[in-house]
Amino acid sequence: MVKVILDNVSKFFGKVKAVVDLNLRIGDGEFVALLGPSGCGKTTTLLMVAGIYKPTRGKILFDDKDVTKLPPRDRNVGMVFQSYALYPHMSVYDNIAFPLRLKKVPRNEIDRKVKQVAKLLRIEELLHRKPSQLSGGQQQRVALGRALVKEPDVLLLDEPLSNLDAKLRVVMRAELKRLQKELKITTIYVTHDQVEAMSMADRIAVMNAGKLQQYAPPTELYNKPANLFVAGFIGAPPMNFIEGLIKEINGEYYFDSEYFKLKLVNEIGEMIASKTSETIMGFRPENAKIILEEKPNTIQGKVYVVEPLGKDIIVNIKIGDMIVKILTRPGAELTPGQNIWLQLDMKKIHFFEKQTGKAII
Amino acid sequence: MALKISRKMLPWIFLAPMLMMIIFSWIAPVLLTVYLGFTDLSSKNFLDFIRNFFTENVHLTLENFEKIFFAKDPYVVEALTITAIYVVSVLSINAIFALVLSIAIAYFVRNEIVSMLLRVSWLIPRIMPGIIYALVWNWFIDPKYGLLNTLLKFAGVPEALLPESWLLSPPYSQILMIVVNGYVGASFGMIIYTAAIKSIPTDIINAALVDGASDFQIARHIIVPLLKWPMLFVISWQTLSLLSSYEYILMIWGSGGGGGYAGIARAAKVMVWSLYSYSKAFAAEEHLYGYASALSLILVVVGVVLIVTYFKIFGFRRLMEPSRIEV
Amino acid sequence: MRKKFKMPSIGGRTIILNIIKYLLVIIIAVIPLIPVWSMLLWLAVQSFSGRVILGIIPSEVTFKNWRFLWSPIKMGLKEYPNIWPVTLNTLFLALGVTGLVVFVSTLGGYALSRMEFKGRMELMQFIIALHAFPSIILLIALFVILNNLGLYGKGYMTLVGIILIKAGLEIPMATWIIKGFFDAIPWDLEWAALVDGCTRWKAWRTVILPLVLPGIGAISIFSFLSGWSEFLLVFTYVEDEAYYTLPVLIYHMIGEFKFIDWGMLAALGLFFTIPTIIFFSTSQKLLLRIYVGGIKR
Repeated sequence: MVKVILDNVSKFFGKVKAVVDLNLRIGDGEFVALLGPSGCGKTTTLLMVAGIYKPTRGKILFDDKDVTKLPPRDRNVGMVFQSYALYPHMSVYDNIAFPLRLKKVPRNEIDRKVKQVAKLLRIEELLHRKPSQLSGGQQQRVALGRALVKEPDVLLLDEPLSNLDAKLRVVMRAELKRLQKELKITTIYVTHDQVEAMSMADRIAVMNAGKLQQYAPPTELYNKPANLFVAGFIGAPPMNFIEGLIKEINGEYYFDSEYFKLKLVNEIGEMIASKTSETIMGFRPENAKIILEEKPNTIQGKVYVVEPLGKDIIVNIKIGDMIVKILTRPGAELTPGQNIWLQLDMKKIHFFEKQTGKAII
Repeated sequence: MALKISRKMLPWIFLAPMLMMIIFSWIAPVLLTVYLGFTDLSSKNFLDFIRNFFTENVHLTLENFEKIFFAKDPYVVEALTITAIYVVSVLSINAIFALVLSIAIAYFVRNEIVSMLLRVSWLIPRIMPGIIYALVWNWFIDPKYGLLNTLLKFAGVPEALLPESWLLSPPYSQILMIVVNGYVGASFGMIIYTAAIKSIPTDIINAALVDGASDFQIARHIIVPLLKWPMLFVISWQTLSLLSSYEYILMIWGSGGGGGYAGIARAAKVMVWSLYSYSKAFAAEEHLYGYASALSLILVVVGVVLIVTYFKIFGFRRLMEPSRIEV
Repeated sequence: MRKKFKMPSIGGRTIILNIIKYLLVIIIAVIPLIPVWSMLLWLAVQSFSGRVILGIIPSEVTFKNWRFLWSPIKMGLKEYPNIWPVTLNTLFLALGVTGLVVFVSTLGGYALSRMEFKGRMELMQFIIALHAFPSIILLIALFVILNNLGLYGKGYMTLVGIILIKAGLEIPMATWIIKGFFDAIPWDLEWAALVDGCTRWKAWRTVILPLVLPGIGAISIFSFLSGWSEFLLVFTYVEDEAYYTLPVLIYHMIGEFKFIDWGMLAALGLFFTIPTIIFFSTSQKLLLRIYVGGIKR
């Protein structure tokens, strides 16, 4: 139930720059996901908040108190590790009771709290078992119980669902989200799965190579990605990217790629042209329609591969020697080699500077 | 023309030299010890025995065991006591002190280089050739030129408590015996325990840190309980080892001029069972080989029983990886 | 419902705990090492010094402690054997043990690792069991056996007998170590050799053997040092001074010169330790692995 602030935090391991100049403000009671590919620095950041790593530079604050120099035991955080890290020689009860025992909480108080947490997580019958006798999902709930029993100010979760099978994962996602809302604990959740992050978090901090790419609520990340990386990382199937130049011809602006020319609305064209002429256009698979006859301002292509998903189908279209993916409902028969035209939703196109990857629109 | 050796035979050709050596150095001697324990072999009938295994000058007898078990040999009880003191004391160093030492070196000390230095230093007594170890200890305890008494005085031990001769006066000689062997034995436990400690997943230690544990609490609640099996292994292995070890004692107490091997050791009350057997065979005037074998045989039997027990308790795999952590 | 973060009073508890922790490390791990370090220091210093003050401070640098290298040592009427033949004896013993151990255990280790035969498991367990078995209580029986084989009291033959015994005692552990090296070689290599036309024997010589060379190196060094340092067997079985090895000579010298000439004793000790130092400084990682891997009291 506290605010967590990372102020210009960096972590270097010798020459390796795991985290670089990270600035993050997490609100009280907020559920924030740290999202990114392996090695992007998200787990390192989490461990710094926990106090297991000390930042090479920068400060970490809980509310407005500087906790950078505090060891983990003084920070009142609860953490669930990816491997669960349950003490193998202790029973479930002892695992959960451990933090309380360390604080010398009286015995009956411990008993009450442990049973309360066990009830919350529905693991009461497991209290006398050893971790090796539990399934993955049960172990995970015990780990969660151990983190929650001390009523932490901050809850840290390091890819807690990645060791579970797909079905259980979906169930637990909803569970965790509900639990967090009920307990109102400030939560930081590390994951590489963007679907998980999108469905659970209030805000997502997308990281890559140690640097923060964008920090925003899920819909904003989806609709207004700040750069190429975020745009390509969020959303499945991923956004399509096409390189091209912005050309002005007779007062009208066009996006000119090798294989087609697309006319742009003047204001948009002007804005982009003022920044740069080399751009990358991006559009999401669900924001383009496949039509069977040529219309103005459409892109011609050939059907390459059709992937039926049941409710939707993904159609891979070859344009020149590029392939873009389109998500659409099953409808007209599409056969490989067939000529079709793509009509893009012009209101939902993105443009990025080719040099920097930053978003212009 | 290459010799056509059948597939079945080939392994045995590779194994033959090894098997022969094992029979020569291990199996034959054990069997022979069993036999000799029941004879009255001594320097008197030795030559006859060599010439003819079944010579009638060597008699089968139960006398040796009578001497041992019915205390007809007055020194047997003392040897037993000294051995018991020796084994229990050195065992506590090897199994328990080594545990504390390992936690200190492998967990409390975070700096890899310092940890390495300490570990290598503790290995030095084990790596040094035995006789050199004996040599430097002889120097160390020397009242005039050695450092022991000086260091102890420096540490505040009153002069009155320091002996004239660490070698000769019990209980100082016994303390010395325990310490000398303890230094070598501690590194055994250290090797096993540090390997075990290093194999504890870091996440578990991190989880304990987050749960609020200090380094001491982690040592007490996490590390020590997880080292149960390695500890059992160290205790078992070292018990057997210590029961029959006497080399360092012989090297230090043997060299003393005058009494030869046995003289000083007995007076200093450091003659453990195995050394007693050795002295009866090689140092006594009459070279009582039969009796000495009987003494040895007790240890052989204990050894075999213990080893079989270990195999049953630990199983083959765990004996292979004594540092494996599991619950 | 909303709690504000309570800043705990740092300083106090954590710092004290840290101090206690490091104090404990020093008391338990460092202080007991003082004797060990001082012993090593003394050995190095005393061997080149006249009288030594306070145990480890040299009073003068001298080489006269090393006189045993060029002149025989006398004590009253007794003249001790010249150092060089004794060194040769020690070398003989060490090399003999090494050769025998390497040969036997390489063959045996390979069979245990990669050949199929009945009783393989049992044999492996037996070899481990030998590890645990205290060998030095077999000295009496071995004495009888040596005599029986005519290897006792016959000058170099006694040393040969000792080589046989010592090698036999080292073989279980050496075999186990080299087996480990064999285990690490992928089967594909051996199969490729067989498919290419080698017999099992040729495959062993040309493909496998080169790959276990580090293992062979390891057990060679190890066997050499063990033969070089062997005391008990020589002490018990060799009566003729001419066939002493260095450890036994040193033993007798300690008894004789203990209160008289620490300088020479130290020099003698240092002289003896030279091979150990050489081997350890050139291959510490390998050797430490062996000592750690082949734990035997």
